[in-house]
Amino acid sequence: MNEGVMAMNTKSRYAWAYVMIAPTLIGTLLFWSWPAVYSIYLGFLKSENFGLVNHWVGTQNYEKLFKDQEFWRNLRNTLFYMVLFVPLTLVCSTVLAVLLNAKIRGRSTYRVIYFLPQVTMPAAAAMVWVVLFAQDYGLVNYALGTHVSWLSDPRFAMYSLVIVGVWAAIGFNMLLILAGLQGIPRTLYEAAEIDGAVGFNKFRYITLPLLTPTLFFTTIVLMIGATQVFDSIYMLIGKTNVALPAVRSLVYAYYQNAFVYYDQNYGAAIVNILLLVNLVLTGVQFLFQKKWVVYD
Amino acid sequence: MLFRNKTITSVLSLSLVATLALAGCSSKNDKNGNEASKPADNGQASEKASEKPAKDVTISYTIWDKNQQPAMEAIAKEFTAQNPNIKVKVEVIPWGDYWTKMSAAAPAGTLPDVFWMHGGQFIKYATGGFLEPITDKVQSGIIDLNNYAANLGSIYTLDGQNYGIPKDFDTIGLAYNKELFDQAGVPYPDDTWDYNKLAEVAKKLSQPDKGIYGFAAKMDTQTGYWNDMLANGGHILSDDQTKSGYDEPASIEALKFRYQMTLDKSSPTHQQMTDTDSTDMFKSGKLAMIFEGSWRNGDIDSSEIIHGKWNWAPLPKGKVKRGNIINGLGNVMSAKGKNKDESSLFLQFLGSKRASEITAEMGAAIPAFNGTQDAWVKSKPDLNLQIFIDQVADAFPYPSGTKAYPVWFAKEPEIMSQAWGGAISVEDAAKKVADMMNQAIADNK
Amino acid sequence: MTSHTLSSKRTNLVIHAVLIAISAVMIIPFLWMILTSVKTPMEATQIPVKFFPSILKWNSYSEAFKQSSFQYYYFNTAFSAFMKTLFPIIFSSMAAYAFARIQFPGRSICFFLIISVMMVPNPVFYTPQYMMMNKLGLVNTVTALWIASLISPFATFLLRQFFLGISKELEEAAILDGCNPFQIFWHIMLPLVKSALVAIVIIQLLWSWNELQWPLIINSSPEKLTLSAGLATLVSKFGTNYPVLMAGAIMAVIPMIFLFFIFQRRFIEGVAFSAHKG
Repeated sequence: MNEGVMAMNTKSRYAWAYVMIAPTLIGTLLFWSWPAVYSIYLGFLKSENFGLVNHWVGTQNYEKLFKDQEFWRNLRNTLFYMVLFVPLTLVCSTVLAVLLNAKIRGRSTYRVIYFLPQVTMPAAAAMVWVVLFAQDYGLVNYALGTHVSWLSDPRFAMYSLVIVGVWAAIGFNMLLILAGLQGIPRTLYEAAEIDGAVGFNKFRYITLPLLTPTLFFTTIVLMIGATQVFDSIYMLIGKTNVALPAVRSLVYAYYQNAFVYYDQNYGAAIVNILLLVNLVLTGVQFLFQKKWVVYD
Repeated sequence: MLFRNKTITSVLSLSLVATLALAGCSSKNDKNGNEASKPADNGQASEKASEKPAKDVTISYTIWDKNQQPAMEAIAKEFTAQNPNIKVKVEVIPWGDYWTKMSAAAPAGTLPDVFWMHGGQFIKYATGGFLEPITDKVQSGIIDLNNYAANLGSIYTLDGQNYGIPKDFDTIGLAYNKELFDQAGVPYPDDTWDYNKLAEVAKKLSQPDKGIYGFAAKMDTQTGYWNDMLANGGHILSDDQTKSGYDEPASIEALKFRYQMTLDKSSPTHQQMTDTDSTDMFKSGKLAMIFEGSWRNGDIDSSEIIHGKWNWAPLPKGKVKRGNIINGLGNVMSAKGKNKDESSLFLQFLGSKRASEITAEMGAAIPAFNGTQDAWVKSKPDLNLQIFIDQVADAFPYPSGTKAYPVWFAKEPEIMSQAWGGAISVEDAAKKVADMMNQAIADNK
Repeated sequence: MTSHTLSSKRTNLVIHAVLIAISAVMIIPFLWMILTSVKTPMEATQIPVKFFPSILKWNSYSEAFKQSSFQYYYFNTAFSAFMKTLFPIIFSSMAAYAFARIQFPGRSICFFLIISVMMVPNPVFYTPQYMMMNKLGLVNTVTALWIASLISPFATFLLRQFFLGISKELEEAAILDGCNPFQIFWHIMLPLVKSALVAIVIIQLLWSWNELQWPLIINSSPEKLTLSAGLATLVSKFGTNYPVLMAGAIMAVIPMIFLFFIFQRRFIEGVAFSAHKG
């Protein structure tokens, strides 16, 4: 690279750089960074009269939160959802991607079909799942010959939510993984075949290691998404469902407290904890990535 | 040429950023606007009205019951006929979202010009200065609160200021499906019934294998167990509104009695009633009896399946008395509307005898204006609507009227649904609700 | 015929069987949506399950349309999706280029400030953003739906990765010709990342079309709602009248599915493409 040329108009180049980043930087600071900071501040306040009057109350909201058994249950629910949803989505997506990566007929048709839930808005999809999961006249019970109350039995509701979540997420993640697969050079497989590797071994020793960077990225995105589960609970479970406490996520509790019970500060305290949870989870992911992610 | 292109883009983006940055300044103005609209400045609006030349405006009127939309639109139409420069846009936000949305709109200053108010929410909005007082009109006699039944006007009065004009009132009735009674050869419910009779007949009429049930023992407050609790001698709130009545033995007994019916298969389970709304079940002929509010009359009768095959009876008597809840809705206007003069005219019209007559004739709700209730009773001659008027005497006012009400009322269903869903005992749920209510009352002193 | 091809044929058959079974799971909800929408409320909740209605009943569609404000929902959703796609594309690509290619003072800190918000779960922003909209007088307006999303840290991050991967030789020639950084960006670099831009358009479009929580919080009047939030209202209005609810759901998903079928290759490649650099 010609440093001399680059240095020629350094000052004007800098000026251009500032102009080019200005909208994004200012927009981010104004609409995202500042609210994030303000949310932390809100956690220390108590508001009255629809938020027009505020008092500083220190850690009172957090004390109340930590004493609230509901909160711990919501936190557990959120993590449990994540622990079920993320691996299940990853496994299903990977299996489908591997199958579709083979030279089989109708590949593009399958891809279109699997991607269909992704272009369906979650609110609309949830509405049809309510009908499918209904105890008496639902198609799911009809097909399985069961009489389970999928969405209102605290023992099953979480799994039903996970099923809907995985159903919606498979298509997108399958495509991401498929792209990762297609980035693996053919020659590696050919070399392995000469060495006598077949079927599952090829997958285990070539595909999987080379796929780890994609899987790492996908895992982080899925985890962050899973901790914010709201739409499906809002649309599928509802306010007077006996199973609500068994599935309520932190974000749902935030919505209820901030916008239904009119306690924005308690709500802010809840999402601030969620922020902390996310930072810890992502931090852990990055710490452990060396152990399993293979970069070439 | 190419140069110009990109300049435009960068200028565009810069100006956009500038707009965003500038927009931040307007926050200060908003605070001033807020001060200005405190209840103190009443009176000026209506004086100005006569001086200003008529300009074309559209005001918004927000309600929560889609079944009453046609009647409200008819009133708006008649109002526009009298005031050609004022158009009224009727908007429906369903009850489930209504107060969430209103509590968002209030501090934002974006409340609808005129909207329905509920007794339970009123105090919060009035003390916050979000409602325009109409005290001067009441005092000058433009609005006469004595025109309205059952002292309804007092609901929307706070610290000597009047804010709302009574719109309608409602009580609860027992709707029954005549066909299912005839098939079983059981006489129809009447005013001699008590709760034991209700349970006995409900059991007799239930055919769970056919998906037909005698009664909907639904988990609901105003059209559900509140009536039972009162009839059994319990309370929702203590008379001085400082303590929950849910944990009184009489209340718990009433709750248990109702819940028992879902176990006895004389009622659909809570689950079934979540999957299919119980009133929808009644409308499709699968329920013999249900408690419903007078406001649902038109909606139920619109079902082709049971039209002509159903009627109303009074609620059954309890151990102590006949329980019933009376509630009155009011029309109020925003203190921050852009067209307050016009809104005020419309509000006045909503409180007129004519508006009540339209409400009555269209069968929308029991109108508040004295002397117009008969028209409502006659709006469906084949139905015994008189029971709603007669039960006013037994009825207990809707237990709102404290700042704590919106808080505990939002949380109550979640706890009770735990009991109805079988996760905790009715007794535990009642005690939990009581604790929660007492806490809310303490927090909102 | 060797045993090898025979077994691979059998494998193929098994693979197809699996793929078709999963396809069915993916598609059945859509079929059920359509079937339910043309049933009567009675048929929709009939026991045992009734698959096909005795007559096709289309009035649930007009009912759903009449009882809510679909014309507004469509406009608001499409308009805010447009704003939330167009502006982030312009702003993010500009910023991404500057971050990738110009060593200006404060570059790292600015970049960090922008991508750090990606770590924050969206709900953290909602209450303060809500208060901000409130102060700007934007609560319950269409503007509130998109104003905070004119920028996209995610797109900035992604595009920077792409720009980093492009060889610098092209630019050096342009610098010698006296082009300023914006001209280089606009005329040389932007065309090179076209496929990345398409990917971002698709992701932004999908995301903003489907978003539920923010519209639900910020807007209330029916004519200010999006399709998602409008559907939620439909549920509270119609309770368990499933044909009407399904008709509403279908009307809400049709435009995006339609777009998807027309541009399916773009959609799929776009998503796959974003994975390469993510």
